[in-house]
Amino acid sequence: MKTIDCRNMACPLPVVTVKRALAEAPGEALQVLLDGGAPRENVTRFAVNRGFAVTETLVEGGVALEITGEATPAKAVIGRPVGPTVMLIASDRLGDGPEELGRLLMKNFVITLLELERLPDRILFVNSGVLLATDGSEVVEALEKLGDLGVEIFSCGICLDYFHRRNKLRVGEITNMFSIAESLLAAGLVVRV
Amino acid sequence: MVNEGDFVAIFNSIHRVMKAEALLKGRSVPMLLIPAPRNISADCGLAIRYAATDRETLESLLAEAGLIPESIYVKLDGKYVKAGARG
Repeated sequence: MKTIDCRNMACPLPVVTVKRALAEAPGEALQVLLDGGAPRENVTRFAVNRGFAVTETLVEGGVALEITGEATPAKAVIGRPVGPTVMLIASDRLGDGPEELGRLLMKNFVITLLELERLPDRILFVNSGVLLATDGSEVVEALEKLGDLGVEIFSCGICLDYFHRRNKLRVGEITNMFSIAESLLAAGLVVRV
Repeated sequence: MVNEGDFVAIFNSIHRVMKAEALLKGRSVPMLLIPAPRNISADCGLAIRYAATDRETLESLLAEAGLIPESIYVKLDGKYVKAGARG
């Protein structure tokens, strides 16, 4: 089994490195040494989302993940796009126009999602969209409910930093541009709001 | 978004509901602007959700400001029923 050491690597390098290693040797087990925290979570999520099995063991200075299996090929269903439905929310307002109307519409939109039968698989918040997932947002309750229904919720880390809201995130997880870009390109359907 | 026993005030004018929201937020009355539940409003109205404990304060403030809702419902046993007069 090949082992790669991704300790002391800054995000998103661990995910990039693991992705390359898996692509170079399809079907072969891979052991990855990682720091705890974000790199561990990001790599695990990356591998699990692609259909790999992940086993974790604690080692000195972090964790060792054993990644086995093969990436699951996307299955085509007639009438449905292949791959996940990803919603990109790039503003805390819906549409151009008066600011107060835009905010009201966005709030209304997010709460309305709860009433729908077909939900997005993932919601990505970027730019001022991240404010919707932080302290003081009126849609935190609705987003939590969407999370309970299996919708993955991610906010852009750079954006949270820009608004000084990294420690004010109330719902979902922090992600990086690598994961955002990859998620958009791997999607069957991207809904940009 | 509406819990059992919560009240829902329906407004069919965007301007009235925005005024009502601004007024209630200004007075720190706990409430949330929500899309009107599908089964109680045929048009694309908006609603204000509030708890029974805030009903008196909230509805009095709206009445004083001339922002009486189109209709008020309460969620009982999972269904929306027209709310009676305040007791």
